[in-house]
Amino acid sequence: MPFNQKPQKFNAKINTVTVGTGDKAVTIGGNSTFPFYTFDAPTENRPKIGVEITDMGLDEFAPGIKAYYEGCTTMAEIAKKAAAMEGGDFVVLNLDGGDPNGVNKSTEELIAVVKEVAEAIDCPLVVEGCKNVEKDAELLPKVAEALQGRNVIVMSEKEENYKAIGAAAGLAYNQIVGAESADDINLAKQLNVVTTQLGVDAKKIVMNVGTATVGYGYEYVVSTMDRIKGAALSQNDNMLQMPIITPVSSETWGVKESVATEEDMPEWGSEDERGINMEVMTAAADLAAGSDAVILRHPQSVKTIAKMIDALV
Amino acid sequence: MALNGIQIFKLTPKKNCKECGCPTCMAFSMKVAQGAMKIEQCPHMSEDALASLSEATAPPMKTIKIGTGAEELTLGGETVLFRHEKTFVNKSRYAVELCTCMDDAAVDAKLAEIPKVDYDRIGERMYAELVYVNCDAEATADKYTALVQKAAALGRTMILGCSDPEIAKAALEVCKDNKPVLNGANASNYEAMNAVATAAGVVLGVSGKDLNELYDTTAALEKLGNKNLVLDVTGADVKETFGNAVQVRRAALKDQDRTFGYPSIVNLAKIAGGDYHLQAALAAVFTMKYGSIIVMERMTYAEALPLYGLRQNVFTDPQKPMRVEPGIYPMNGADENSLVVTTVDFALTYFLVSGELERSGVPLNLVINDAGGLSVLTSWAAGKFSGNSISAFFKENVEPKVKSRRLVIPGKVAVLKGDLEAKLPGWEIIVGPREAVQLVKFLKDLDA
Amino acid sequence: MAKFITIGERLSTTAPSVNKAFTERDPEPILKRAKQQLDAGAVYLDVNIGPAENDGEDLMKWAVKLLQENFDNVPLALDTSNKKAIEAGISVYNRSKGKPIVNSADAGGRIENIDLAAANDAIVIALCSADGIAADNDERMMHCQNMLERGMGLGMDPSDLWFDPLFLVVKGMQEKQMEVLEAIKMFSDMGLNSTGGLSNNSNGMPKNIRPIMDSALVAMAMMQGLTSAIVNPNDLRLMETIKSCDVFKGNTLYADSYLEL
Repeated sequence: MPFNQKPQKFNAKINTVTVGTGDKAVTIGGNSTFPFYTFDAPTENRPKIGVEITDMGLDEFAPGIKAYYEGCTTMAEIAKKAAAMEGGDFVVLNLDGGDPNGVNKSTEELIAVVKEVAEAIDCPLVVEGCKNVEKDAELLPKVAEALQGRNVIVMSEKEENYKAIGAAAGLAYNQIVGAESADDINLAKQLNVVTTQLGVDAKKIVMNVGTATVGYGYEYVVSTMDRIKGAALSQNDNMLQMPIITPVSSETWGVKESVATEEDMPEWGSEDERGINMEVMTAAADLAAGSDAVILRHPQSVKTIAKMIDALV
Repeated sequence: MALNGIQIFKLTPKKNCKECGCPTCMAFSMKVAQGAMKIEQCPHMSEDALASLSEATAPPMKTIKIGTGAEELTLGGETVLFRHEKTFVNKSRYAVELCTCMDDAAVDAKLAEIPKVDYDRIGERMYAELVYVNCDAEATADKYTALVQKAAALGRTMILGCSDPEIAKAALEVCKDNKPVLNGANASNYEAMNAVATAAGVVLGVSGKDLNELYDTTAALEKLGNKNLVLDVTGADVKETFGNAVQVRRAALKDQDRTFGYPSIVNLAKIAGGDYHLQAALAAVFTMKYGSIIVMERMTYAEALPLYGLRQNVFTDPQKPMRVEPGIYPMNGADENSLVVTTVDFALTYFLVSGELERSGVPLNLVINDAGGLSVLTSWAAGKFSGNSISAFFKENVEPKVKSRRLVIPGKVAVLKGDLEAKLPGWEIIVGPREAVQLVKFLKDLDA
Repeated sequence: MAKFITIGERLSTTAPSVNKAFTERDPEPILKRAKQQLDAGAVYLDVNIGPAENDGEDLMKWAVKLLQENFDNVPLALDTSNKKAIEAGISVYNRSKGKPIVNSADAGGRIENIDLAAANDAIVIALCSADGIAADNDERMMHCQNMLERGMGLGMDPSDLWFDPLFLVVKGMQEKQMEVLEAIKMFSDMGLNSTGGLSNNSNGMPKNIRPIMDSALVAMAMMQGLTSAIVNPNDLRLMETIKSCDVFKGNTLYADSYLEL
């Protein structure tokens, strides 16, 4: 008696969202199975990889990442190099420098960076805010305006500022809205509801439902994604069918396993290898839990995750 | 796994004879489902029906034990496919592979490398619990036994990757007391392998060229009376292996197909093509999705730090949040005169706070209180992070060891400031920020 | 667990305006009522064309096509004692949003509607009565078993038989209410789906009271495991109660705006 294979079919699927324009546009989402369950149904769109750079240039990058960008002096050059990274599908510009509790760059200064990066590349672009909700409410609508026609994802729309960011990005300038919540499924859903109630097309929303480095409360990320995918597919909950995009690198490159030098922790071995694997394993786990796109930094991580995705779809 | 009424009803004779005291077979089935009656109270149940009922009420996935003494490991026994549905119970275990195809120097290097990774993370010992000793096609019994003996010296539980019954028998002679796994039964040798494994009293690993063959061979072994099995789900490539791992687990837990209700082995050494980074990615994937034993080519700190962190998180019981051991954690080169910062023992809070504190670069002593594993506000509300408990902890554990008398408390419990000043004389109590992300700026401003 | 399934009851020949529209094949009033119900959150729409002895087949086909073409293949319950009309309706029915429901069979004279559902891969509402209301739950469960066995014998999946305990009117049968609720629990323990004409309970009560009684009953019945009901979806209180119960039962994920979804 052979094995009675029972494919799990859902009468529901994750929304398909196209980012960017022209030949290099990428499509995320569209799948009707749990991640990589190709034995239930073929994968509609393979998960995508974003390559993250920041307005702070190369200063904050780990040595192994910096090495890849060697010789780049302007944001345009950095952006071009990021766009050329093997395995990457789009470029992500993080506007960390805008944080009022940090460097506190002005909106005008950051918009200039955004424009410089956008003009340097023709691949899809994703822009992340500075983590401060008030500053983002002022900054991100300007970003959406500056990038009109590029069909970018404007990340970091939160409960506190969804009206400003959602209305500007999703309505006025017809970009894609990235709704952000932190391991809170009810809020993730609510944010999609109120964003669509602003008039934003549900098919122009992606979600960042929370991110953490493996080992650092990552169980909340797993269960949040498991439950969201489960509700989206088995309960056909159309307020949770937005594709999930997960920033990985901004988390993993801050933990001690990645930043401790070999002098500090001689028994731990190569700093670069540790940093890569922290990023690779977090990204792999995110994809296995349900992320439709991940955001990475190290060229080796991007290459590895692209290879893993190839092997699984 | 309880059956519902309809599943029981299907097995009843449906005669409505009323001999059980119920008006209908359906009413009887319902009572059985509720636990109010026993299935045996039906005088007309067939033997087959009773057998399939007892099968159906057995756990969907067997719990298999390997190794002995302190190295005994428990595999399988899972009841859910997603951790939020209840909890995962037995974590993935990692094996490092040795092979008769490696030369002595390579074997020695590997054996020297394995014990280097052995550390504690939030109360859990992190190390490669298993060694996979592979026997390639050319190896003789002597050569393989010698390698097994060498590997046994590490004291880790072994998995013998060997599909030749004679060689396996010889190798088991030298290590069977340590309860290794014999991974090598397949469609063509399962009877002989079963005899070898049963005689040695060890768990037998089964493989097949596809899921159907694996299923048939497992069923055949069960028929021979062996239910002490693990299933090697490694396929020809990554995609097939993932498909096998998921479908085997899903068949057992969701579809109640007990033939697949065994722990799995996933051999990354076979499918990662020598690419260590890809192997790392796949180790994470199979820790998430259903690898009970994951075989790797190596386990250095570069693999271990993220992988064991992931495993610790994934296998945490959602009902019992992870706790950090209370105590003093010096950071950024702190000494006894450095600033003191305190928070609760809820692991997530600890990680968020310690991460930001490290980022600040400011030398300080982080004091973790016993707060019942709850977050700041919850433990405060429960009286477990109070003026009394904090001051008692500081007097007993901190004051003898730390000279500094400046203490930063979480902004969310600013109300404790006065109370602590009264109960900890000599201490300057500073109210910190409400959120961890504000700590870096707060500490910089504090210094300035 | 799947979300509670509401079957909108307002397309019924018992309403004079609907009856007139059916007779005259006038789409406007039908579409208007259908839209009101769907906007209010109905999942299925019940299409009750009455006995329709003369032109049932033609009428049911017309109604099915009209509703499905205008409302994205909305799933329907085909409600008539005319079997040929039900078959005709199914022949033009699009299943992309859900199987058709045959409304209804019982354990007596209408048991053959189970055969009809089985032959057409449809869901059937199975009233647990034969000749008159069941005297007690032993009798209800006897009917339930008979219909279940018949359906399974014809190859139906048990989940396609939706058992109806028959909700009873409070004014006159108050003492029977708990028994109906217990029957629902029995269906649920069996792993069976259930449904019923919930508002029967409040027949004859003042208009302002009915939504309160219906809401209370639906909450109690959902607690017992009721999986569906034939309801007036334009009863806001009732629909809000159902949505709230779906949250408590984990059938849908809570969000602050859950009532607006």
